[in-house]
Amino acid sequence: MKKAHRHIRGFVAAMIAVSAIAVPVVAASSAHASVELSFWSWRPEDTAFWTAEAAKFQAATGITVKYTPYVATDYNATLATALTAGKGPDVMLIRAYGGMANLSDAGNFMALTSKDVPMLAKMAPGTLAAAQGYKDKHQFGVPYSTSVLGVLYNPEILAKAGVAANPTSWSSLLSAMDRVKRAGYTALAVGTGYAPGLEQMWGAIAPAFYGGTAFYNDIVAGKKNFNDPAFVASLKAETQLFPYMPAGASGLDYNTQRALFANGKAAFYIGGNYEISYFRSLNPSAPIGWFPAPAATQGGARYVTNWADGAFAINAKTAHKAEALKFLNFIASKPLMQDGADKLGWIPPITGIQSSDPAIVAMQRKIGQMGTPFLTLVGFRYGNPTSSSIMQPGFQKVASGAATVTDLAKSIQDGVASWYDPFKG
Amino acid sequence: MAKQGLKRQQNRMAILLLTPAIATILILTTVPAFTTLSYAFFHWHGFQRGSFAGLNNFYRLFHFPFRDQFLMALRHNLLVFVGIFTVQTSLGIFLAYALFKVRRGQRFHRTIAFFPVIFSLVIVGYTWQIILNPFFGPVNYFFHSIHLDVLAKTWLGETSTALPTLVFINLWRWVGFPTIIFLAGLNAISNDYVEAARIDGASEGQIFRKILFPLLAPSMTIVTILTFIGAFEWFDLPYVLGGSSGGPAGATDTLALMFYRLSFGSVDSIANEIGVGSALGVIIFIIVGLGATFGAKWLRGREVEA
Repeated sequence: MKKAHRHIRGFVAAMIAVSAIAVPVVAASSAHASVELSFWSWRPEDTAFWTAEAAKFQAATGITVKYTPYVATDYNATLATALTAGKGPDVMLIRAYGGMANLSDAGNFMALTSKDVPMLAKMAPGTLAAAQGYKDKHQFGVPYSTSVLGVLYNPEILAKAGVAANPTSWSSLLSAMDRVKRAGYTALAVGTGYAPGLEQMWGAIAPAFYGGTAFYNDIVAGKKNFNDPAFVASLKAETQLFPYMPAGASGLDYNTQRALFANGKAAFYIGGNYEISYFRSLNPSAPIGWFPAPAATQGGARYVTNWADGAFAINAKTAHKAEALKFLNFIASKPLMQDGADKLGWIPPITGIQSSDPAIVAMQRKIGQMGTPFLTLVGFRYGNPTSSSIMQPGFQKVASGAATVTDLAKSIQDGVASWYDPFKG
Repeated sequence: MAKQGLKRQQNRMAILLLTPAIATILILTTVPAFTTLSYAFFHWHGFQRGSFAGLNNFYRLFHFPFRDQFLMALRHNLLVFVGIFTVQTSLGIFLAYALFKVRRGQRFHRTIAFFPVIFSLVIVGYTWQIILNPFFGPVNYFFHSIHLDVLAKTWLGETSTALPTLVFINLWRWVGFPTIIFLAGLNAISNDYVEAARIDGASEGQIFRKILFPLLAPSMTIVTILTFIGAFEWFDLPYVLGGSSGGPAGATDTLALMFYRLSFGSVDSIANEIGVGSALGVIIFIIVGLGATFGAKWLRGREVEA
């Protein structure tokens, strides 16, 4: 009888021991399995990519990820509203530098360390700065790609128009556009209807006119300002591109202007590397070349504007911190970064990853030699009104004849000076 | 005694039935309105409330760099009200009168006139964006095909045509609403007046001008007040077609869009100004509240008993 009792006690003890080990494991895996992470971004064009990556992540972890993209121009307001209302996503793509500093300073994003995301330790301090709080300097996001501005072109159209070599000076770029126009093609796909595109085009060509990083450092320090003749000259240069835009440029929306270039209807697209994946999605065989924006004068300095495009962050109020962190590490892994480089045109912020796209490879190579920060994006998005929010509609006013570039420069200076301390003295 | 008990029971029932409606109004309207009012009197650092600011946010709204945006948006709201009121109301009266006179198939025609009202505004906006596309839209294709190239404009892309185009789209979608209100008003007018006027030899034009139109005043009051409120809170259509910055170059900016930008940030940055945004919200509330109250009082004073 005693023996039987001992057996029963032993069996019960064993069962308890097994359950003590097995139940948490099973519970944890089933808890993971039932978790669905919400993941927001401003890039609807990346839906296929993230759906495929989410499937890989689910196969490895059992955690489901639901990718929800919003229209880029509405994303900031949508995310800010959701986070403020306590209904934000678990993981999200966030704008770099001042783009979302208010949200980070309000404690909406989970502070990250290299213990949480080991990949952070492999990134340069300048890259990490793109996703740090304005006040507390906490790391709140994982930067994923360096964005690069320059001149994208269609080699086939240039060959047909008789443009033999890539333009290296401003006058040679305008001459090439003239030749393309005379050959019956639209020279420049970018129009004035999509205001952010005007700022990006300016961001590509402007450093050669205002003097690149030296001017950037001076203006950020308050030693120079936006009324500076060199800055005004950079605005003027953009207006010289207006005659090469398509007819009806003021009504050209973002997708139509990208479609014009991707489908071989226009020879040049002055913008960023992040457009290439969309071009390829419209036309996988689109011939695309790239060169750095030309010098202001023959033999002058050339610059490649670059910045950390954005970062991935975790909602500080997420109910699934462990799972979100797991997903963030999945994003910050070499295989995914390589996929991003190959399929989305990313220029990852870590060494050892190279895109299979020759245009992206060319950009990657030039960053080290000619890199300069995107002045309005990196330096002046921390207060209201931002330089960008004045410049974008300002260029539209200049294009319609309602303002001059000098007026535009003055309105940027006056607007930014209302909150930027170095301009107040 | 029994009567008093019944009254008490009725009162209880009335309170019970009114409670959900009152609670909904309190939670969804009154509390947010007072919260916004309180926000306007504080300093804000992004989404964090700071110290008491007094009237500083109102001062900032009426000074650089927000004053010009505010005045431009206010001007656009006024133009929208004038545009919608004159064209939409006139067209609404005309359509209502036409429907009133049509005896055969009135129901069918009434449905047709009201049909666009039921469409989602977002769908209407995007559909018109395609229709007016300067490259492949049917409108410009039509103008080119009849050699009226001068009319093949970038309707939504030019600063001079963007706002009138938005007013036109709004009119297309919404004209059925005043039409139905005016039709209901016409149907409510006693036929005796019309018959008496006919016996006296009045023409159809005279009957409309001297009898029907003056007796439509109550309908006119409703339409005018609703148009005023709608015009000064105009957000959805300009947002769909011009984005939160009221593009191109702010040509379609309105007070509601400016409020949205100030409160939640713009396309490039969430460098928001909740305090100034809330001050603007209070100003919009005052404009709409005072305008609607005094407008309704004045218009009701002009109404004629039918």
